[in-house]
Formats: sequence, structure tokens, C-alpha cells
Amino acid sequence: MAISCEAIQTQLAEAGGDTGQLTDEERLHLERCPECCEVAAGERALGLIFANVLPAADPGLELRVRSAMRSTRRRRRVIALLPVAASLFVALLGAVLLGGLPGGSLLALLPVWSSQGWVSLAATLSDWTAALRTAAGATEAVLSPAMLGLTLVVSLLGVAATVVATRRWRRISPWRDTD
Amino acid sequence: MSFSDATDEHLVRLALDGDEDAFSHLVTRYQRRLTAFLGQLVGDIELARELCQESFIRAWSALDRFNPKYRFSTWLFRIGHNLGIDHLRRRRLKTVALYRTDRDGGEIELDIEDATKDPLGHFENAELSASLKQAIDGLRPEYRELVLLRHFGCLSYQEIAEFKDMPLGTVKNKLFRAHTVLRNALAAFL
Repeated sequence: MAISCEAIQTQLAEAGGDTGQLTDEERLHLERCPECCEVAAGERALGLIFANVLPAADPGLELRVRSAMRSTRRRRRVIALLPVAASLFVALLGAVLLGGLPGGSLLALLPVWSSQGWVSLAATLSDWTAALRTAAGATEAVLSPAMLGLTLVVSLLGVAATVVATRRWRRISPWRDTD
Repeated sequence: MSFSDATDEHLVRLALDGDEDAFSHLVTRYQRRLTAFLGQLVGDIELARELCQESFIRAWSALDRFNPKYRFSTWLFRIGHNLGIDHLRRRRLKTVALYRTDRDGGEIELDIEDATKDPLGHFENAELSASLKQAIDGLRPEYRELVLLRHFGCLSYQEIAEFKDMPLGTVKNKLFRAHTVLRNALAAFL
């Protein structure tokens, strides 16, 4: 098969003028073809010019990227907790609205909360065990099975979202075998 | 195995496991190439360094969404390329031409150049640097981008084909033609 100058020159362009990749037949052609010889020399010289185009490394870049990486990680941790906080809030709100928490319904409590009620609510919320125990007892007594199921689903979704959000960061994608 | 010997794939895997050092090594590995590529794209080395930093931060933030079907290098360069293009679009909107008035009342655009921002400013041979810049700027856009990816980004032909979603043969052909133009333009230095 005849060897074309363009095919050899294309190879030379890719190899930066290096003839090591050429077959014996192609190398023989190169020896006899002044045009291809000239291209090989030109490619080598071009390669030398391009060898100097890289700028000096930025010594502070790595540090700045690391700093950004850490703040990204912190932000993600906060975001990952949001679904839990939201689901707990929804569950508590549901219990309060339906009178699950001591002291009657939310509407009845509103005037009281406007004065000193917020303080007592904050105290109640700070004791999570007590609040949850109360809520659990109240939901059994007050909530309809449908509402109870809905509250449960919302809570579970919150937990699932948290797990997904936290695991996603550490997930290792299936890797292909690179050639 | 040290980080220097590790493949990009291995380093990305470690980074996904939370190893910051592994990702930092990728930063070290690619920062000069990405900066050189972006420098040619936006024409300002300082801006290129900023875009390079932003590219790495975005790559880190999106590492869990990285599709391992592609190489890390092409993915990173794509992030950088998109940032560079976005910046050029914004800059085009904000550009304000500076003019002065000549004796006849006509306007002459001021040619303000800051040599410190020249992406090839580190070249010892200023004449060669200017000629290279001119030769690259004179290339057809489709050739120019491939030359930037090949010689400034130091991507392999295969990586360029992946980056551009172009057949390997087409990449070879276009780069050969681009080299022919460059060899002619830089004949005085070859």
C-alpha cells in the first residue's frame, strides 16, 4: 500500500516530530521525502516553542482551594441537617396544632405565647426527651390514624433525606477501566 | 503508592473518600496547564489564575457528580472552559472603549496594554512570544481551540476528541492543518 505524505505528516504532528512511532516503511519514506523531512524538523522545533508556554505555578493556589474545600464541606454538613430539623419541626407543629402537646391547641395558646408563652415553649423544646414522649402519647390519643401515618412519613422522609445528603458526598461512583 | 505515581482516577477516588491531599495533588498536577489554557482563552494571566482557582473549587464541589465515563482532565478543562466563556460573555457586555480626540476632532481608540497580564509574558524571547500570540490568534477558531487544548492544556489527542466530542481522526486532521499554519507563521523561529 502506498504511503501518503499527509498520513506521515499527520503522525509527525501528533508525535511532535518524533519518528519513533513510524513503521520501517514509513521511516524509509521519510528518508527519501524532503517535504516530510522538513515537516518532521518543523514539528520538533514547534514542540520546543510550545514546551515553554506553561506559566509558573501559583504557590498560593493549593492553599486557597483547600480553604474553599473546607468551607464547602462545612456548608454541606449544615445543609444535610436541614431535612431532619424540618421534619422534626413539622412533626412538632402537627402535634401542637392538634393539641398533642400539653396546654391545649395552638390557637388557644397564641395569646398566652405572645406574653410569656415563648419562654415556656423554649424550655419545653429544650428537653427533647420529654417533648417527644409527650408528643408520642398525645399523638396516640389525639391524632387520627391517617394523620399519624402522615406525620410518620414526613419524619421518615426527613431522616432518609439526611442519610442521602450525607452519604452522597462520600459515595464512590462506579469506575470504568481506563484504557 | 505515592500521589505522584497515582492516576487521576485513583486520586479522584481518594478525594471522594474525603482525602483532601489527593485532590490537592490534582490541583498541583493540572494548575499550570489549566492556567495556560485559560490564559490564552481570556488573554489575561491574572484572570486565568482566578478562573483556574474557581475551576478547581467547582470541580471539588461537584466531584460526586463527576461521570467516570469521562477522564478527569477533560471534565476539569470543560469546567474551566465554560467559566472562561461565561467570563468573556460578561466582559463583552461591560466593555467600555476608551477614546481620545485627535487634532481633526476624530476619535482614536487608545491602545492600552498591560504586559504583566500577557499569558506569554514569561517568555524570554519577546519577539517569539509576540509572533506566537499573533500566529495563534490568526488561526481559524476551530483550529485555535484545538491548539490551545493540545499545547497549552497538554491534553492528548484522545482527550481532545473526548472534550470536543469529535472523532479522533478529525482531531488529528485539524491539528495537522493548524500545525501547518503555525509552522509557516513561525518559520523565522524554526
